[in-house]
Order: sequence, then structure tokens, then C-alpha cells
Amino acid sequence: MNNSSLVKAGILAFVLMLIAVFSWEFYLRSKGFETSFNDDPALWTDKRDMVYEPADKATVFIGSSRIKFDLDIPTWEALTGDHAIQLACVGSNPLPVLDNLANDKNFKGRLVVDVTEGLFFSTSPGNARRPVENMKYFKERTPAQQAGFFINGLLESNFVFLDKDWLSLNACLDEIPLKDRAGVNNFHGFPSDFGRVRYNRQEYMTDKFSKDTSLQNKVKAIWDGFRKASKDPPVTGAKLDSILNSVKTAVNKIKERGGQVLFVRTPSSGPFLMGENMGFPREKYWERILTTTNCAGIHFADYPAIAHFICPEFSHLSQTDAVTFTKEFIRILNTEKGWAFPKLSVTAK
Amino acid sequence: MVFNSLTFVVFFIVMLILHNLPFTWKVKKINLLLASYIFYAAWNPPFILLLWLSTVVDFFVGRALYNQENKHKRKLLLVISLIGNLGMLCFFKYGTFILDNFTHLVNALGADFHPAKPNIILPAGISFYTFTTLCYTIDMYKKKSEPVKSMLDFSLFVTFFPHLVAGPIVRPPQLVPQFESPRKATQQQLMQGLLLISLGLFMKVVLADSMLAQSANDVFNSKAILKTLDAWTGVLAFSGQIFFDFAGYSTCAVGVALCLGFVLPQNFLYPYAAIGFSDFWRRWHITLSAWLRDYLYIPLGGNRNGKFRTYINLMITMLLGGLWHGANWTFVVWGALHGAYLWGEKIIQDFRKKAAVVSIAAIPSGELGVLGVIPKEFKDKTLRNFMYAMITFFFINVTWVFFRAPDFTSAWHLLTAMFYGMPKAEALLTTLSIIKVTVIVVLMVAFHWMMRNTRVLTVAEKMPWWLLGTVWAVLLLLLIWSQESSSSFIYFQF
Repeated sequence: MNNSSLVKAGILAFVLMLIAVFSWEFYLRSKGFETSFNDDPALWTDKRDMVYEPADKATVFIGSSRIKFDLDIPTWEALTGDHAIQLACVGSNPLPVLDNLANDKNFKGRLVVDVTEGLFFSTSPGNARRPVENMKYFKERTPAQQAGFFINGLLESNFVFLDKDWLSLNACLDEIPLKDRAGVNNFHGFPSDFGRVRYNRQEYMTDKFSKDTSLQNKVKAIWDGFRKASKDPPVTGAKLDSILNSVKTAVNKIKERGGQVLFVRTPSSGPFLMGENMGFPREKYWERILTTTNCAGIHFADYPAIAHFICPEFSHLSQTDAVTFTKEFIRILNTEKGWAFPKLSVTAK
Repeated sequence: MVFNSLTFVVFFIVMLILHNLPFTWKVKKINLLLASYIFYAAWNPPFILLLWLSTVVDFFVGRALYNQENKHKRKLLLVISLIGNLGMLCFFKYGTFILDNFTHLVNALGADFHPAKPNIILPAGISFYTFTTLCYTIDMYKKKSEPVKSMLDFSLFVTFFPHLVAGPIVRPPQLVPQFESPRKATQQQLMQGLLLISLGLFMKVVLADSMLAQSANDVFNSKAILKTLDAWTGVLAFSGQIFFDFAGYSTCAVGVALCLGFVLPQNFLYPYAAIGFSDFWRRWHITLSAWLRDYLYIPLGGNRNGKFRTYINLMITMLLGGLWHGANWTFVVWGALHGAYLWGEKIIQDFRKKAAVVSIAAIPSGELGVLGVIPKEFKDKTLRNFMYAMITFFFINVTWVFFRAPDFTSAWHLLTAMFYGMPKAEALLTTLSIIKVTVIVVLMVAFHWMMRNTRVLTVAEKMPWWLLGTVWAVLLLLLIWSQESSSSFIYFQF
């Protein structure tokens, strides 16, 4: 091949690539897709850097996926004037992050810990994988990765097709319905409308998901798969005491530096809630967290305005309900727990 | 900085522009050197000091070695260089390993010794640039080539960013002359370079990271006793992953250098089509095997001191080659297995009294990477040769178990699962994972077999432009579509 042929091949490749990429982008936009961010360690680290903001101007949230769905950050920030820093990780135990913040002497802020008992009291290393990966990235991040995060953010905020969770090659291959052998755990198959991610790490289900029961049933089936795959019974006895003691130690470290910690039990419904109540009776788990740590707590079941949500897939709130929940959550924090915010002075009873 | 990152894309575009502006050659070289330091410092800025230290010491020691006539002083200078280079490598790479083994040993002898765990961070690419500088000082000692005249050229030889972190391991005569006169890529070199970068990134991002890494990680990290199908799928996935990861890096490195007008040696030549194990080492990580041959095996005596010593020298070379890859006994066993394979091959050759397969000892010290000439009869794509290649591939896969497994227990569990159906074995991988690994590995082996006597650029240049353009576009689209984040290359840890 002569020189000009190689140049022609290069130009053809470039043009074909541009045509295919922009056609894909326009197609996705025509189907109603919106930009979504890759909730990877780089995005988590970007938020982790923010925890040193003054305690009266920012609140850090840790936990599992529920607080990511249920806390509507625009509502929170509009009503309180306070910056919500979301550090929760989906499908994860929040205790590694709690420990990380407790051991960071520069963190003296306000912390809300979301409690999903099945994950909070889990001893499975798999449930700590994401937080551990995120913290490792935070600790070892290189200048090149910092620059890459900035460039990536520019692209992700402009192109819908850049959505690793739902639109990447692997995500599309995962859509192929293939039967697995007996005993294989396959937790792929979440519909793309279930979890979209904003730059602030808030996750939300689309309106389509909130209305489409077939999509909801897919997720319900996955929760059922998780339940069946779970081999370990809920922790009790010495193991439970040990977990609670480690939580107490971490909380005390934060309090000693002037920080504030509050626990929240976010809503679930239907068989999921029934299963959680059976596996983790409130008095043996939730109440013990509060008594052991001597911290304030908000359990959704105690407040009529947020006690009766119907979660579309039993475990997370729809966008509309997340706004309602967030408003009531702020009201409780402000009027009953004595939390002041830049836009709300304390009106505790 | 890694090639498969957006940061590198921006960095590379800036470098291409700077390199094509009408600066003097010296200014362009300074640009390249500064860019190389930025490229390296983008990982961990303090480690740039090690690179400087290694460069400065070897530049002056190398020159003194060449000019010094006194035998004893020359030896002393060589020892200083070896201690400097290998000492640094030993401390950073093998410090923890040596301490752990020493602790085990003295405790086994009855002492109660429990030192604090050292927290040593391994500087990226230390094994690669140490070998690059080592071969310079050894060459100076042997007066095999002239000392590099300018500190700028020597610094650029050591630090040139395309090869700095994971090779190819270059020799002074391969690269230094290229810095002596102005260089700018021709249009053809630029396009060839861009094609190689696209291909390298496709191999790394799409095939290694997106398609194979998960299956390999799941199997090698599993604590369960796995079914034979899962064990083999995991090992084959790693076999593909390690090739696409490392060959992808090398292909990118060659492509990046070519875009700037420089030629780096090839590092891979379709190794999974190798017929026999010496042929494998002629095709896998070519610049390392050539380095080990010229700076370890031949100085040990090679095949010049009789059969017994030849076998011993082969084994020492492979054991140290294994240890070069990582501070763990599993790597030593990996090297030992390759040494044993080479022994076996040599015994068969001696028995048949044929020189069909040339052991690495017999290959003349080659340049530009390729380890001598491939025996003529192995160039034929006959069914018999294909069967030999598949047998070689089978044995190579067994060695990867030790290379990838975190410890011997895991390696043993996996080997047991591969060769014996355990009664209570668990299924782990999804049907989709098994299909992905099977399709990619079969295509990879077929591709290696078809390409074993040629090069990718030769084939690309024979294709009609519209076909090449379409294939190139598919590579780029799959690269974009895979959306893999900029994960590190496996060989960076070595």
C-alpha cells in the first residue's frame, strides 16, 4: 500500500467513526436517554475531597444505595443552603467509609449514616469491595488520574452514549438473554432506567421505571436472587457486639473532634421490608446502634409523612417520593434533632 | 500516565504539535525529555528522583568504564554501577520479599523475630529502566559500543516516554543514534503509528480489560473449588488478557514512537503460534528474552561448557527471568516450569540429533528484538506444526496459573480443578463469560497462526484502502464503545 492509500484509509476510518458515534448519540437522545455519570472511584474521590468543608455549610452522607436514591440533593441544597456530599456506595457496607472518615483527623463535619441492615451488618468482603476500591483510589490517585477525571467529566456531561453502566459494549452484551448453569450467580440485568447517576452522585430511577411494572419486576427478581444467594444468617452475639463496638469507636473519634453523627433508616416496602423486619428486628439492630453510639437517629417508620411510601421495586424511592422524603427529612433534622442550616436556623421543640 | 487514558490523548496531541514546530533539534529533544519526565511524574512525582539518579550515575560511570584502562578500576566501576542499579531494584522490588523470607527462615531456626512490615511503594517501570541502564554500563565495560556523548541524548535514551515504563527494553545502539540527527515522522510513519496505536489500544481496552479481565479475576480470586470448565475458562481468559495487555502496550509504544519519527524494536511476534518453548521465547517479550540471553545466559557460559552446564545455565536464566517479573515464589516456579520445558525440548532434540529447534543458547546475539531466525521447517503452516503449536499453547497455559495465582494454595486448587473433576465443584462463570472467552481465545490463536510468519503492518499495507479503513473504524468504535476506564497495564507492576 502506498502512502496515499494509508492516508485514505485513515480518513475513511475517522469519518466512519464520527458518523457511527454521532448517529448512536442522536438515536439515544431520540429514545429519551439523558447524560449519566460513571459512578466510579474517581467520581467518589472527587466528593471525598469535599468533606473538609465547614460543618455548618456541608453534610456528608454515607451508606448504601438507598440514601443515593432517597436523598434528592437539589431539594436538600435548595431548602437548606447546605452542601450535600454523597459518599454512599451501592450494594455496600458503609462501615469502611465510616472508619476512613473517623481516622481522618481533618474531618470534623456533620455525617449522616444510612442504615440498610443487610449491608450495614454484613461481614462479607464482597459488600466492602466498592468502598475499599474507592478509598484505595482516593489514597493512591495520581496527577494523571486527576487530569483524566477532569477531561472525562467534560465528555460525560455532554454525551449520552458515555454511560458505562448501561450503554457500554459489556452492558449491551449483558442484555442478551442466556441461561446460566445451576449455581451461577448472575446479578446483571438491571434495566437501564433503574439507576441513572448525576454528577453529585445522586442516583435516580427514570419516570418510565416508576410506571413500568415489567421493569420493576425485573429488579424485584434480582433482589430475590440476592436473597437466595445469601448464605449467611444475620449476625448475632459476639460478632454483632464487635460490629457495634467498632461503629461506636469510629463515631466517638468523630465526636471528639467536634463532628456530629446521625443515623437514618431510609424506607423500603413490601416483602423486602417484611424480610428485613424478620431478619433484623428493630430493637436488636437499629435501636442498638443508637444506644451503643449515643447518636440521634431517624427511622422512617416513626414519621407518618414518610412511613408509607411504596417503593417501585420494594427498596428505593421514585424521584417524586425522594423529594417528599428529603423535605420531611430536613424538617425532622431541623425541628426535632436541632440541626441548623445556612437557610434554616434551629427550631427544635 | 497510561496510554489508555484521555490524559495521554491530550498529552500526545501536544507532543505531536511541539515536535512538528520549527524548533531546533536540540529544543525538540529537550521537549521530548521534559515530556518524558512529566509522563513519568504523572504517577508519583518523587520517583522522578530515582530516574535522575540512575541516569546521572550511569552516564558518568559508563563513560569512565569505557575510558578507564586499569583493569581493577574498570571492575570497581562496574561493581559500583551494578550495586547502584541492582541495589535500587532490590530495595524497591524485593525488599519486602527478602525480609519476609529472612523472617521465615530465622523463625524456622528457632528465633523469635517479627520485624515491622516495611511499606515500600514500587516505582512504576523500575525493572524496565534498570535493565535499560544496566545494559549500557555492561556494554561500556565490554567496549561493545561507544559511550553516549551528550547527557541530553543519554537522558532521553533512558527516559524516552514510549518505552520508559514497560518496554520494549531498548539497547543503546537501537535508540541513541536516532537522537543524534533531526527526526520527524514521514506521513507514512505517522499513519502507521496511528494504526498501531489504535490496534494496541483495541487489544488492551477492548479485549484485555473489557472482555477477558473479569473472567480471569473471578476465577483466580475465587476461594471455591471450581468446575473444570470454569477453571480452564479462567486460565484461558488470563492467557488472552496477559497477551493483549502487554502486547497492546508494546504495540502502542512502537506506534507512539513512530508518530514522532523513532523506531522501537518489536516485542511480540504472535507467541501463541509458537512451536516449542524456545520458539515461544523468540516471540514473547522478545526484548527481555534477548536481554537475558545476552547479559545473563551467555556471560554464565551459555552452551559453551558442555551439556550439563548448558542445562544449568538455562535454568538459572529462566529462574531469574521469573523473579524479574515479581517478588514472589510463584514467579520463580513459573520461570522454573519454562526452564524445565526448555530442558525437555533440548533433551528431545539431542535424542533426535536434530537442530530443528534452536535453543536460545545457539541463537546469535540479535538486534532489533527478533531472537534469531525461525527454523525453516517451522515456518510451514502444516497440520503437524499446528498440532505442535497447540501442545505448546497447552503447556504455556499451565505456567500462567503460577504467574497469576496469588499463592501456591490457589494455584494448586486451580490446577486440581483443571485436571480432575472434583465431586462438589462449583460453577462460577456465566454463560456469556464462557462464550466471550471461548470466542476471543479461539480467534486469537487462529490469528496468531495465520500471522506467525508476517507482521501486522505488512498485512495492512496489502489490504485495499477501503477495507483497511473499515477495519480501522471498527477497532476505534469498539474502543469507544467499551468505555473502559484507564486501568493500569499488568506489566507496570514488574
